[in-house]
Amino acid sequence: MMPANNGREHVSRRGFLKGCLVTGGGMAVANWGGLTTSESIAAEASRNGKRCILLWMNGGASQIDTFDMKPGRRTGGPFRPISTNVAGTQICEYLPRMSRLADKLAIIRSMRTQSPDHPDGIYHMHTCYQMRDRVPHPEIGAMIAKYLGRADADLPSFVRMGSTGNGGSGYLGPRYEPFSVGRDGRLPYFTEPYVTQPSRERRGDLLNFLEEGFATDHVADPFASHRMAEARTWRLLRARSVFDTSRDWPAAQERYGNTEFGRSCFLARKLVEAGVPFVEVGQENYDSHADNFVCHRGNMDVLDPAWSGLLTDLQERGLLDNTLVVWMGEVGRTPYINNRAGRDHYIRAWTTVLAGGGIRGGQVYGASDENGIDVRDNPVSEGDLFATIYATLGINPRVQHFVGTRPIWATPEGSRPIRSLIV
Amino acid sequence: MFRFAAMVLAFAGLTAPVASGADKPLRQIIDHEIASVWKREKIQPAAPATDAVFLRRVFVDLVGMIPSHDETTAFLKDTDPAKREKLIERLLADPRFAEQQAHVWDLVFFGRKPGNPDATRKRDGFMDWLAEQFKKDVPYDRWVKDLLLAKDGAELFYVQFRNQPEDATVAVTRMFLGTQLQCARCHDHPFERWTQKDFYGMAGFFVRLVVVDGKTSGKTKSFQIAEKSTGDVLFSGSVKEQRPGRKGEPVKPKFLGGTELKEPEAPKGFKEPTFKGGETPPKPLFSRKEQIADWITARDNPYFARAVANRVFAQLLGRGLVHPVDDLTEKSEASHPELLDALTRDMLDRKFDLKGFIREIVNSKSYQLGDTGPVKDALPEKFERARVRPLSAEELLTSLKVATAFDPAVWKGSGDPTEYFIRYFGEPTDGLGMFQSSLAEHLFLNNASQIRVMVQARKGNLADQLLQSKAPWEEKIDRLFLSVLSRPASAKERERFVKHFSGGDAKVMPQLVEEAVWALVSCSEFRFNR
Repeated sequence: MMPANNGREHVSRRGFLKGCLVTGGGMAVANWGGLTTSESIAAEASRNGKRCILLWMNGGASQIDTFDMKPGRRTGGPFRPISTNVAGTQICEYLPRMSRLADKLAIIRSMRTQSPDHPDGIYHMHTCYQMRDRVPHPEIGAMIAKYLGRADADLPSFVRMGSTGNGGSGYLGPRYEPFSVGRDGRLPYFTEPYVTQPSRERRGDLLNFLEEGFATDHVADPFASHRMAEARTWRLLRARSVFDTSRDWPAAQERYGNTEFGRSCFLARKLVEAGVPFVEVGQENYDSHADNFVCHRGNMDVLDPAWSGLLTDLQERGLLDNTLVVWMGEVGRTPYINNRAGRDHYIRAWTTVLAGGGIRGGQVYGASDENGIDVRDNPVSEGDLFATIYATLGINPRVQHFVGTRPIWATPEGSRPIRSLIV
Repeated sequence: MFRFAAMVLAFAGLTAPVASGADKPLRQIIDHEIASVWKREKIQPAAPATDAVFLRRVFVDLVGMIPSHDETTAFLKDTDPAKREKLIERLLADPRFAEQQAHVWDLVFFGRKPGNPDATRKRDGFMDWLAEQFKKDVPYDRWVKDLLLAKDGAELFYVQFRNQPEDATVAVTRMFLGTQLQCARCHDHPFERWTQKDFYGMAGFFVRLVVVDGKTSGKTKSFQIAEKSTGDVLFSGSVKEQRPGRKGEPVKPKFLGGTELKEPEAPKGFKEPTFKGGETPPKPLFSRKEQIADWITARDNPYFARAVANRVFAQLLGRGLVHPVDDLTEKSEASHPELLDALTRDMLDRKFDLKGFIREIVNSKSYQLGDTGPVKDALPEKFERARVRPLSAEELLTSLKVATAFDPAVWKGSGDPTEYFIRYFGEPTDGLGMFQSSLAEHLFLNNASQIRVMVQARKGNLADQLLQSKAPWEEKIDRLFLSVLSRPASAKERERFVKHFSGGDAKVMPQLVEEAVWALVSCSEFRFNR
């Protein structure tokens, strides 16, 4: 019989089942005493895997008041444009820190999409398929988790904070479900053990012993899947202190801004550094049907330090080349200003922004017309945007899955990556 | 080679090849057909299941939970050579059989994410109706017809479609005819002969159904399915031809692969009668719903008997002879074509008596095959090893209660955890229906008080029994294993668990016992039916 909890003496094959114990029979069982959290994180950070952070502007940010300004036009609103570190590219005066990082950004000013309202727009901009499709499409986070996540990782492959997607892992299955962390860093249910560490180890040893015996003559895949998930769970429980930002936040908050969103962006940076391939952070309050300008001014005060802090931090740590940062929401906002000084939902011409991770920065792609009513050049659909993101991350945008007997592709027929945005 | 052939023949209980015929019990036909594929493909099947493995499997399949400690010990001790057959009879007569079948069929009809969730989330009434059909041994074709007619108690079936005839068409053809029409909703089916016209022809039978409020009794909202006398499906071509404002042409109802429905025209100037919510809706001048219910459940419908035979076979053997079970087409190839024919014939001969059909399957040696062997597939295509399927959320919860001798009165304060179980164990599958475990499931197993409340000692439960008993640990460990895993502990296991308990004083013993029970309910052996 094999003692299961003096892990360091046992085989720990990186790239296969890190933190697992591989028994004589080749079966992996969860290992209590395996790599410590800090060691595994350091190892993760040295890898060059691609990652993605999605900054989700919940409710839909106004393109005209951020990245596609129309100064002097009837639709322009009161904000003024400022120059950026890219000649000829101007953005809103309330994004001063971002203006100094414009060379990192690819601004897509020609989004033309199909779902004009919140639940369906949120779904559509998280899955690139329409909500009424009757197929449970996975969110972008689940797709990326599937293709960039690793079975031997300590942390979940799809983490999100704040108001975000509404599709979940869909047909990809529960393995790729999002791990939802509260805006305040609070972990989801059932991550807090109710027994002491020695007790957990004792019962874990018994479980490993049982699994090992059972596995000698029961080799069917579901048993292995069950054991692997148990092992991942134990690793997560051991590594969960990564989610705790209380110690390092004070030093980071000047850079990210002392806000919940800023702190979430900081946690996102920590997570991708620890190897999480996809993190989504939601920012609230963009749905400005009334008082659009007050609303956007306040939001940009939060967004500007958080986003710029994130990009700068990633760059300083050598992570920006491998980490794609996406800025988008479910809709844009009308060029017209309504009688409550608001802007309503708009999908005919709006803006998303990509940065880092294999994106050629310092460019504007597509254009809206002079009043921002319609796309003038190079319209980009949900599918095109997703195909671009997937291609940037090395995921085939036309990878096929099945729902029962029906074949489904990662992006809809006709979606094309925007090649000029990709390095 | 000779030995192998002899083994196969011995397995199939045959001394000479016998043509499958109506005079032979179905169980023998199943074994014969499955063994002949092994022989042809030189496949070495698993050994027959041990009594303990068989016992647990047949309990979960027929009554939806594992056997209790006492049921297990009684069965294992029994020396009657006919004990398996007798047990099967006992379980088929058990009221829990009807409830388990209701659970299985409810999941076929609604799944975990039904349409119109506000109305269909709570389905107790519908489940009772289903269980009633099985309690009374109502033949499948009869209760399906009642379901399609939305008879009293079965209305919820249509409620999930939110008055969308297209959704009803997809579901009804898939569930009862094993046919995938959903492709033809938006474009002609790429591989099958079904066109959009076929699809909308079928939708014509459902287009006049309207969900209306039923008589409210107490808090539960009830529904009725009204049928109008007018209204047609409009067909506007393929999805690529759609333009804003394009209206489409009315399509007459047409039986799938058959003829257009002949129906009397509503008189000129006919107006739909009005009625209030809660009133019994007026009957239509002519009921299309009755026409489709008759046609689907007719004996000569080429798909109906075949679909249910294949589906129930899969329910017990893990996979259909056509897999997945709802992909029965002219072109789909059965893994065992003769067997599928025989199952279909048998289903017709026994006039859709599902209990009799199930009796034959679980009495077959194929069903009673062992769970070991080198094949990794959860559902081996040639049935050379027993299938491995996860316990459903409900089966898992009920089995946990049985295993731990849990008194549900404990939940009076904290609430029944069924919804948690459905959330964390409800749909552990990928798009192809293959088992997929998740972090969430295991976090729940590891850290949920809903699990802890069952595994830790509480008056009279398993952990408490182990703590209170003065018997030697070896004996208590056997009780633990028999209670949770429906088998005695092996010598090695006994030794390991004795070690776990040894040295524990009275203060830590409750914790050690809790740990042991937790380990047993958390392992693969408990999680799956195999």
